[in-house]
Amino acid sequence: MSQSSSPPRRRPVLRPLRATTIAGVLVLVASLLSGCSGGDGRTVITFFQFKPEAQQYFQDLASQFEKANPGIRVVVDNPADPETALRTRLVKNDVPDVMTLNANGTFGEFASAKIFRDFRSDPVLDHVNPAYLKVIGALGSGGKGEVNGVPFAANASGLLYNEDLFAKYHVAVPRTFDQLIAAARKFKAAGVTPFYGMLADAWTAQSPLAPLSSQLQPSDFFPERFADRTTFAQGWRSTASELAQLYKYTQPDPLSKGYEDGTAAFAKGQSAMLLLGSYAVPQIRASKPKFTVGSMALPATNDPAKTTLVSGVDVVITAARHGAHQKEVSKFIDFLMQPKVMTAYCKAQVAIPTLQGLRNDDPALKGVQSYINAGKIVGFTDHQFIAAIPLAPLLQTFLLSGNESRFLSDLDSDWDKVAQRRTWGIGAVNS
Amino acid sequence: MTATNLPASDAGATTSRTSSPAAGPGRPRKSATQLPRTFYLMVLPALVLFVIFHTIPVIQGVYYSFTDSPGYGPSNLVGFRNYIALFSDPRVLHAYWFTFLIAGVATILVNIVSLAIAVGLNGKIKFKTTLRGVYFVPNILAILVVGYIFNYLFSNSLPALGQKLGIDFLSTSLLTQASTAWIGIVILAVWQAAAFNIIIYIAGLQTVPQEIYEAASIDGAGAWRSFRSITFPMIAGFFTINMVLSLKSFLQIFDHIVALTNGGPGTDTESVALLIYKGGFQGGEYGYQSANSVVFFIVIVVFSIVQLRFLQRREMSA
Repeated sequence: MSQSSSPPRRRPVLRPLRATTIAGVLVLVASLLSGCSGGDGRTVITFFQFKPEAQQYFQDLASQFEKANPGIRVVVDNPADPETALRTRLVKNDVPDVMTLNANGTFGEFASAKIFRDFRSDPVLDHVNPAYLKVIGALGSGGKGEVNGVPFAANASGLLYNEDLFAKYHVAVPRTFDQLIAAARKFKAAGVTPFYGMLADAWTAQSPLAPLSSQLQPSDFFPERFADRTTFAQGWRSTASELAQLYKYTQPDPLSKGYEDGTAAFAKGQSAMLLLGSYAVPQIRASKPKFTVGSMALPATNDPAKTTLVSGVDVVITAARHGAHQKEVSKFIDFLMQPKVMTAYCKAQVAIPTLQGLRNDDPALKGVQSYINAGKIVGFTDHQFIAAIPLAPLLQTFLLSGNESRFLSDLDSDWDKVAQRRTWGIGAVNS
Repeated sequence: MTATNLPASDAGATTSRTSSPAAGPGRPRKSATQLPRTFYLMVLPALVLFVIFHTIPVIQGVYYSFTDSPGYGPSNLVGFRNYIALFSDPRVLHAYWFTFLIAGVATILVNIVSLAIAVGLNGKIKFKTTLRGVYFVPNILAILVVGYIFNYLFSNSLPALGQKLGIDFLSTSLLTQASTAWIGIVILAVWQAAAFNIIIYIAGLQTVPQEIYEAASIDGAGAWRSFRSITFPMIAGFFTINMVLSLKSFLQIFDHIVALTNGGPGTDTESVALLIYKGGFQGGEYGYQSANSVVFFIVIVVFSIVQLRFLQRREMSA
């Protein structure tokens, strides 16, 4: 910049000016940087917390930890739109020391970009249910055999229902897809909205998509799709048609309502069922429902034995791979992973603990507990999608237009296009 | 990145442009060397900031457009691959088409509306000053805030009204259909942008000397005739500025869409700026969308130059 500010002819006149400019810029930069230092001699670790519902909770945990460890200060960062915020921090090479994240496709992408620490030999994993380690490993990792996060809480994604309305209209909990449609029909005939549509938030359609597709697709569908040996048009046709059937039983104009509207309306008893997982229960309870919120696995076939429960790691704790304060960070993670802390968190957030031997007896998890105990658990299929594929918008378009073939072919062509320009990470052309 | 930086470039450009001619005939020169240095000093902070916060990021963006970078971690140079992929990506092409549609319609409408209101507010009416203040209010409100209010109106109030009056077209939310969602976006964009254009037009109208109108009315010219033959030619310069500025800002439309549809239904109302943000930051295709923003930058520059040339030529012939 000093180059452009000093034309050579005026060198004698401008020399003092150049000095002042540089001094000015330095002062500016210094004032920007001074915001980063702790000031009181404590080691500062940044804690990036993604879950908006649990902000206060983690804030309290951080201050408890600070009290027990006077040498460490934990700065909690609760951004809105956390994945985008984390990406922009990564662009600046500013990886937070500790993070809680949702274990989804983006987590897998960051893990394969070698952002996160390898916890493979960390004793903190000793008592974690190995099924959940497998779930996060399937998303992507920094290298073969690496474990890039510590599962903290899991969720169950079937569907939620209003137990009072089910009792009032004498509807039994459906065990097959046909029974589910029959129940929806019964509610509709009685003037009760069967499912509340929340398509203004397009991602909500992914919630029923995951259980349907995981039960209906061929078991090796995604590995085959990555290898370009199958297509969505072949493997997902029945998924698409069942999903469209479910969305026939929403309130009119589902696109004008979003997640907050839907959870509030369900809490007021305006719909019998909600196509969301256990993670939505705290949000529903915030509107103080007068009934018991029940849950069930979403049956996609007419054979109850084939029904599985979609369960993913809702909160995974991880750390920067090359952070400056590894020791303090480990201490903080050990603190969070105490059985006491986890049990309390899961109780507050209606989540499933990931440590062996712990359980959550919340009534909203009762309907799915048997699947968890029996290990009939599968991961979210939508986490296999690279973030650049506009899955949610495509689903939204599809559920409004009902054009199944168009949806499947769009999905295939978007998948192929993204894969073609991809040269790294999951879905890379050469891996 | 480049797209969002553009307003800064205009601000920088205008400051440097307006300050240099002032060096000329304005004041009597005391010493030939003293005065220019003062002006250099005045321009310098703007120039330094401009280079740090605009030029360097733009150059970085151009570099990233030739890589496969997700924005972090290691990346490789991929040559023109991103650019080739851009032109065969229907999502990108649709975003361009949609942006041009919105920008074209909104530019024309906003100029018609604001010129009409400005002429009214310049006439002899009651509460003139108050009304001028009221019409300026949209400009000082944040688009996002207003956008969420409009979102509520479009998705709740308007359908309720439509159902009551039995108008089918209005009884579902405008924003839920691809064929009508753009109308909602244009309404918000025009409502918000008209405020600023009205002010510029009022300023323009006040430069027209009153005597000309008196002479015209003596010659028997009616209201429409004096508007067409006197007012409009006299404020043609202001018209040019308004056209160029509004087209440029509508091409970068972003907040309006975030607040109203967030690109939906599906990806039908994605503008180029929104697509760059979504694909680059949320989708992890930083390099690919950097290529998109470089292309978009060139498109906006070309559009602005062509429009300016065309309108200035017309201005002179008028």
